[in-house]
Amino acid sequence: MPVKIGIPRSLLYYKYFPLWKTFFEGLGAEVEVSGPTTKAVVQEGVKLCVDEACLPVKVAFGHVASLKEKVDYIFIPRLVSVSPREYICPKFLGFPDMVRNSVHGLPGIIDTNINLYRREGDLYGQFLEAASPICRNPLKVAAALRSAVGELKRFNGRVESGMLPENAFRVQEEKFPFQAENRGTVALVGHPYNIYDNYINMNLIGRLDEARVRVVTADNVPEPVVNMYAGTLSKRLFWTLGRRMVGAAYHFLDNPRIDGIIHVASFACGPDSMTGDLIERRARRAGNKPFLNLTLDEHTGEAGVVTRIEAFLDMIDMKMGVDAGVGDWGLELGVGTQNTELRTQNSELRI
Amino acid sequence: MIGFLGLDVGSVSTNLVFLSEKGRVLESVYLRTNGRPIQAVQRGLRQIQGLLPPKTVIRGVGATGSGRNLAGIIAGADVIKNEITSHAVAANRMVPGVRTVLEIGGQDSKIIILRDGVVVDFAMNTVCAAGTGSFLDQQAARLNIEIENFGELALKSRAPVRIAGRCAVFAESDMIHKQQMGYDLPDILAGLCEALVRNYLSNVGKGKDISAPVVFQGGVAANRGMKAAFERALQTEVIIPPHFDVMGAAGAAMLARDFVSRGAPTRFKGFGAAEAGFEAGSFECGGCPNLCEVVEIREEGSVIARWGDRCGRWSVRAARENIS
Amino acid sequence: MKVTFPHMGHLWICLKAMLEYLGVDTVVPPPSTRRTLDLGSKHAPEFACMPLKLNLGNFMEASEMGADTILMAGGCGPCRFGYYAQVEYEILKDLGYNYRLVVMEPPEKRISELLSRIRQITGNRSWLEVIRGIKFGYRKARAVDELEMSAMRLRPREIIPGQTDAALSAALDEIAGAGRPEDLPEAVERAEEIMRGVAWENRPAIRVGLVGEIYTLLEPFANLDIERKLGRLGVEADRSIYLSEWVNDHLFMGLVRGIRSSRLYKKSAAPYLRHFVGGHGQETLGGAVYYKNLGYDGVIQVLPFTCMPEIVAQSILPGFSRETGTPVMTLIVDEQSGDAGLVTRLEAFVDLLAEKRRGKERLA
Repeated sequence: MPVKIGIPRSLLYYKYFPLWKTFFEGLGAEVEVSGPTTKAVVQEGVKLCVDEACLPVKVAFGHVASLKEKVDYIFIPRLVSVSPREYICPKFLGFPDMVRNSVHGLPGIIDTNINLYRREGDLYGQFLEAASPICRNPLKVAAALRSAVGELKRFNGRVESGMLPENAFRVQEEKFPFQAENRGTVALVGHPYNIYDNYINMNLIGRLDEARVRVVTADNVPEPVVNMYAGTLSKRLFWTLGRRMVGAAYHFLDNPRIDGIIHVASFACGPDSMTGDLIERRARRAGNKPFLNLTLDEHTGEAGVVTRIEAFLDMIDMKMGVDAGVGDWGLELGVGTQNTELRTQNSELRI
Repeated sequence: MIGFLGLDVGSVSTNLVFLSEKGRVLESVYLRTNGRPIQAVQRGLRQIQGLLPPKTVIRGVGATGSGRNLAGIIAGADVIKNEITSHAVAANRMVPGVRTVLEIGGQDSKIIILRDGVVVDFAMNTVCAAGTGSFLDQQAARLNIEIENFGELALKSRAPVRIAGRCAVFAESDMIHKQQMGYDLPDILAGLCEALVRNYLSNVGKGKDISAPVVFQGGVAANRGMKAAFERALQTEVIIPPHFDVMGAAGAAMLARDFVSRGAPTRFKGFGAAEAGFEAGSFECGGCPNLCEVVEIREEGSVIARWGDRCGRWSVRAARENIS
Repeated sequence: MKVTFPHMGHLWICLKAMLEYLGVDTVVPPPSTRRTLDLGSKHAPEFACMPLKLNLGNFMEASEMGADTILMAGGCGPCRFGYYAQVEYEILKDLGYNYRLVVMEPPEKRISELLSRIRQITGNRSWLEVIRGIKFGYRKARAVDELEMSAMRLRPREIIPGQTDAALSAALDEIAGAGRPEDLPEAVERAEEIMRGVAWENRPAIRVGLVGEIYTLLEPFANLDIERKLGRLGVEADRSIYLSEWVNDHLFMGLVRGIRSSRLYKKSAAPYLRHFVGGHGQETLGGAVYYKNLGYDGVIQVLPFTCMPEIVAQSILPGFSRETGTPVMTLIVDEQSGDAGLVTRLEAFVDLLAEKRRGKERLA
């Protein structure tokens, strides 16, 4: 029977899943991904993880716990650095230790250091280590890594062309998900695990899609553009994800095709507190686009999120109305956002 | 008489207003929602009907607040609008040129920034109650003060006491501590107002370009101590508009008025809706580990709406059944 | 040019000495107070950590005193501190402050990188002078640390309550007052004399190790004077990091030998946290192990709300506590912290430690 490797559907899953999956499958292992985030996953994560951690880390704990009885190994690499001279957040550096000290009854853990801070040449050695419980044949590992890196490149290409990661994971090209009538384009800026986890963000992308809004995310922006805009900072940002978020947000502020920007942050997230400020400050200085800051944690009420999104879209409608020279803005409001959508849940409502 | 209705169903209170043809607020009612929004809407309809001449014609209805969808279904609303936009519309109509709207209600608070009558920025409070009216309610209860007298007493303060604490629970323990140290009641009350203002400004108000004219609305605006505390913190005059406590409902009614002015007939079900047999129930869907609690609204036995499911499996079906 | 810098405990004593030795006009911000924190929290991002908020408040207050240039340390992550200077600068810019910013990024390869950065504000002073200035500052840091250590030993044993703190403050004044390197030895002598004047008796004291994030450990305003509070409860405290150690580790690349270094902590943290996590997260665990090995009764972790490296440490400390039987308490501080709650919790923790020690003694 092949070795079964569990991959939590959390944190950098949204950026590296194709790499990891192709790699382990190339070694002859079977890969099992935890299911989509659900209330049960969040509850389990909240129970296991220290309260001060951010929601995405708690959710990741929940995913690890949901895999522990199903697989031989759980792959939670210590993601020190995925890009030269940059880090991710400190919690990624300590994540395997946090898990080990808080989750009981774990199967084997593959927590290889992924550290590309110094130079890229070491990647092979790191994956050789990750492969060691399954396969110690260096040639096989090298071949698996080669095809995994190729797969990741193709995946990144699909994402840059405008696909959402969950769609881009599938090999066959699919139609662009946003076919709906276009009521403007909104850019989402935030950590991938907040933007793409529909449970964490209360189906933000789906809601925007339903409201006939086209969505682009920071991951759709090509790396050179990100770097060009991030380069306008007075000091290079040392968080890989943060640099992408800031660079993409500055690009969106500059891009006339973007009608508004939603910044999605986790409650008490360290990097978000800094990059969010850098983004919001510049958005405010530019003053040309509606900007919404959504802060999420496990206590966030859905009603509040819905209200904020609706009010944000009203802001875009008003601005478009004003720009188009339409008179009384109140009059224009009823049209686009006449809201007969009944899926809005009011979590505080008890009848 | 001809006019428009606005309903604002929040978690704490339910407000209704009657707007004249010309767009002025003529009548308003305020009820506690008491966790029973359907009954609150129905009682509200009955009460406001009682205030109006017998042959009043309702041309349009707007619903807002966290219970806006429910209210919209029961009354038959023409416009269902989020409370940010509704509050902004009302403030802008009553105080033309307003640039900042501070709104503090029982369990939520918001700030809205307008420029030339257009909302350009806004924020709502996060989960914490420390930036909302319930903070003052709790402390008033703790101090055995009627909330109605809170503001007058606070105005007598000469040196407000500093009360620390982001969350209402911590603030309470700090307040008790200050009480035990022997501070004067008015100084404690004024200190609570300042704590609320501070929490409000550093939470929803953070980074916002607050400039005059500033309008302060929502139930808490009745507290004159709060107006004074805001004026001290912002160093500018703070305007409390007429009908400050029903601005959401007023805004919804104004939006309904705009909407039907383009010729659409109203969907208002009539005041008879107050007597119709609405039932709300909920069930836990076991379809996936999300275990969503699905809310179901029935009118005279048949399902007219469902919501609360993340996947849409129930709500879509309800909508389809409704159409057929 | 009038140069200011943020407060962090007694850091100002050594920075002021160094800068003034080099002929730089220096503005020491008023000590951090409630007002400082209010000013900072009002304009800083809500989830920024407390040190950033206090830095910002320091700069706003220093500007009232005429400062026009900020001297700030940098960093290369992953802790947020490395980007503080830039974010603070942007906030100040939007508030209309017209500051010039000089960031001392930690040297990556050679100590000369640090020297050239210092020269940005000292102009054309000779290298030798710059090195002498740094040495002067560093020697003051060592002197301050020695005084603080002796205060921590004295507090739980003083006969007249409050005498230690009065002496400490007078002794620190002596160190701060030494204007030239050649005056320092005598000032140190006088300071030690003042500390020797504290009347004490030999009583057993509960021993507590303070570990955690450096700023909240070193800045009494941030940690609500935890060292004094513990001293008053009859506790002899020690902390895992002192100013001179930090300066040596971070700015001098560990060139000064013979003092405690973070390398020690990194080694002892290994069973619990195998990798650095930025800030002082790994040192926090290493420090806990260090104090346990020295036979301390308990460990208190101090961190600012939302501090990422310390949250990693916080989630691992319970495992350490379970395995070693060492009581650990975590104290999270932010602009909302109040004194009343802290005193209650410290008293309860110290009672627990005392009870545990009595239990041990009964068994022995």
